[in-house]
Amino acid sequence: MSLSSALSIAQSALLSTSRQTNVVTRNVADASNPDYSRRIAQVVSNAPGARMVVVQRAVDQQLFRQNLSALSAWSGQSILSSGLDRLQLAVNGVDNAGSASTAIGKLHNALQLYATTPSNPNVGATVIDAARQAVRSLNSGTEAIQAFRADIDSQIATSVGELNQLLAQFESVNKAIVAGTRTGTDVSDALDKRDALLKKIAEHVPVTTHLRADNDMVITTTGGVTMFETVARPVSFTPSPAYAPGMAGATVYIDNVPVAGSTGEASGKLAGLLQLRDGASVTMQAQLDEIARGLIGAFAETAPPLPDAAGLFTWSGAPGVPGTLVNGLAGQISINAAFDPDQGGNVNLLRDGGANGAAYVANTGGTASFADRLIALGDRLDQPMTFHPAAGITAAASVTAYSANAIGWLENARQQATTSANTKEALAARTAEALSNATGVNIDMEMSLMLDLEHTYQASARLLSTVDEMLKTLLNAV
Amino acid sequence: MKAVSVSSAAISNAMRYSQTRMQVDLVKAQKEMDSGRVADTGLALGARSAQAVNFHRDLDRLNALVDSNALVSARLKSTQDSLGQIVSVTQDLVNALTVAVAGDSPDSVTAKSGSTMLQSLTTILNSSMNGEYLFAGTNTDVRPVEDYLDPASPAKAAFDAAFHARFGFTKDDPAAADISAADIESFITDLVEPQFLGAGWEANWSNATDQTIVSRIALNETTPASVSANNEGLRKAAMAAVLAYEAFSGNLGEEAKSAVARRAQALAGEAIADLGQLQSQTGIIQNRVSEASTRINTQIDLFERHIIDLEGVDPYEAANRVNDLMAHIQTSFALTARIQQLSLLNYLT
Repeated sequence: MSLSSALSIAQSALLSTSRQTNVVTRNVADASNPDYSRRIAQVVSNAPGARMVVVQRAVDQQLFRQNLSALSAWSGQSILSSGLDRLQLAVNGVDNAGSASTAIGKLHNALQLYATTPSNPNVGATVIDAARQAVRSLNSGTEAIQAFRADIDSQIATSVGELNQLLAQFESVNKAIVAGTRTGTDVSDALDKRDALLKKIAEHVPVTTHLRADNDMVITTTGGVTMFETVARPVSFTPSPAYAPGMAGATVYIDNVPVAGSTGEASGKLAGLLQLRDGASVTMQAQLDEIARGLIGAFAETAPPLPDAAGLFTWSGAPGVPGTLVNGLAGQISINAAFDPDQGGNVNLLRDGGANGAAYVANTGGTASFADRLIALGDRLDQPMTFHPAAGITAAASVTAYSANAIGWLENARQQATTSANTKEALAARTAEALSNATGVNIDMEMSLMLDLEHTYQASARLLSTVDEMLKTLLNAV
Repeated sequence: MKAVSVSSAAISNAMRYSQTRMQVDLVKAQKEMDSGRVADTGLALGARSAQAVNFHRDLDRLNALVDSNALVSARLKSTQDSLGQIVSVTQDLVNALTVAVAGDSPDSVTAKSGSTMLQSLTTILNSSMNGEYLFAGTNTDVRPVEDYLDPASPAKAAFDAAFHARFGFTKDDPAAADISAADIESFITDLVEPQFLGAGWEANWSNATDQTIVSRIALNETTPASVSANNEGLRKAAMAAVLAYEAFSGNLGEEAKSAVARRAQALAGEAIADLGQLQSQTGIIQNRVSEASTRINTQIDLFERHIIDLEGVDPYEAANRVNDLMAHIQTSFALTARIQQLSLLNYLT
């Protein structure tokens, strides 16, 4: 009686040991999988000598949530920072060499040289060249910004597509978990999968999660919009194929609620992209437009009481001079053909005035070394004018100072985004490490457990054989 | 069960994040060591980039001003030299006229000295630099004065016409010998003077404008930087020369000739005084330009220093940083390798 009971206990010990070995093996196999949570084999005795192995999954909800929000912040900030880097390079060039500010500086210098030798049309032609540079910088800046917006727009569309896919996968995994929990099967693998999906979703949108009965999970954005509740909610967005200055981008809807664009720090890839498309690039476009307006105004021909008329720089509304912010002016500005020798124009008009009719002639004597107008043009580049506050920088400044401030504005935004991205990256790395420490696998520990199990197994096997021998001895005696 | 918690993944990835950060920093520090400037000025300065951009632009402008001031100085120097030459030829004329007033020289010599003076004056006033006539005011592409001795000269024709209108015959006519000193003096005052000191100068003599070339010599300073042929001293010098030439090349009587010579002598004297003043004015402007250049050069030094303050890095510091980082990276490589070997598996047989 007692011998056979000893035999069955040893048998059950062998069984539970092999189950535990199974868990250890599984843990070791997935040791380097960042989405894997350690399984813990717990031995529960339900009757004297009878043992059951229950598999548990290491969880740390607190750390997991921290990691999710750090992931959102990091992915938003890194998108923002790399986007601003791209924008800076595309619009201002390396070391700001292609910026409007540099071009205006060169124009100013050429003007100064021309003012010293006004009788020399070759020197005048260098002014036209410098002006052409400024126009090119503004035109290509506008193109780069709008191409950038269109590119970001398509990235938003990709991000929305991925998000929908992730939510659909989440739905099926969640369903499996709920069904498994109800029937009492081991759902650890599905839980791992759900956590991995959640991490991916958090990269796009910052999320909050709630657990309900039967391990059913509800996802809302941090703003409170439901993204998943029993079924995935749709995320919708209509991309625009091309962008023009002043054109507003389409809104992203989650569960038919519009996602508001953020300012300052962006959390989640989607917020970062929206901020790039509708924030920084729009402001930069406005700044370029205002610089263009400043240039047209500074080189305008004046003859009170006649209205000012566009001079060296002209635009679609010429001969008038734009009085306030005009969307896309930086893309329209061009060199007045009347001045440009390449287009059959006359450089001397710059010195003499009169591109808009005899009333605007400043050099009434027609003399070759008349420098007053050239000097006045140089002065006008340094005179303060009023800029539109929508462009985000000081309202009253000269066009030269304004173009430099535009660079300062962008670099400031870039600096903040990069510093913040670095901090968030460190935070994401640290929370991931902490989470991995809390829920990950330590191979050494598993191996030492393995040794224990080995011993237990050996002991149990030894018990079996001993009992066997005892039984044999007993049977032989009979 | 869960006594310590460090996962194997965390152990092997421990160095990874800091490793990448250090490598990024190493690239930056290397760049800084090479260039002596911060690797990414925009990132380092942020909003202060505007300041750096302004400094760079102002520096370029100041350098451009120094270049253009060199041009202005060259023009002023030529003007000054030319004025000196004019004073010296006028002085020669005064000497010749002094002798003539005393009646000690033949007419032809005095007439010759008048015509020589005219020729020199015309040549000097028509001198040009960089394709710009120096004394043309702003009308620098047109010769400022025509040659008086040219038979087609409108100035000469105007003088002859005035003489004929006043006396009814030319200066070469025998009747000219009878013109009294008073007559010739009133002729000079009423008819000749307006041709030089009045409207006749711009009509017959000069293509120059009164307005002179204005140049910017500093960021906020402009100055007139040339002398016009319409200056009063130059007009008087020309008038003295014409009087000497015309009076002594015709048939005028002794009395009239000596009256003209005295008048011409007085005019030439006034011209020298006026030209002296003009020279000193030009000198003042030359001084202003050179002072402006000196000032600008000081500013350039200052701006360069500001730019270095903003963007520069200490090369020794950068070099030390490169060494430190390299040492750190090596340590972390070595550690990673050792940690990888550190496993219970090695001891389980």
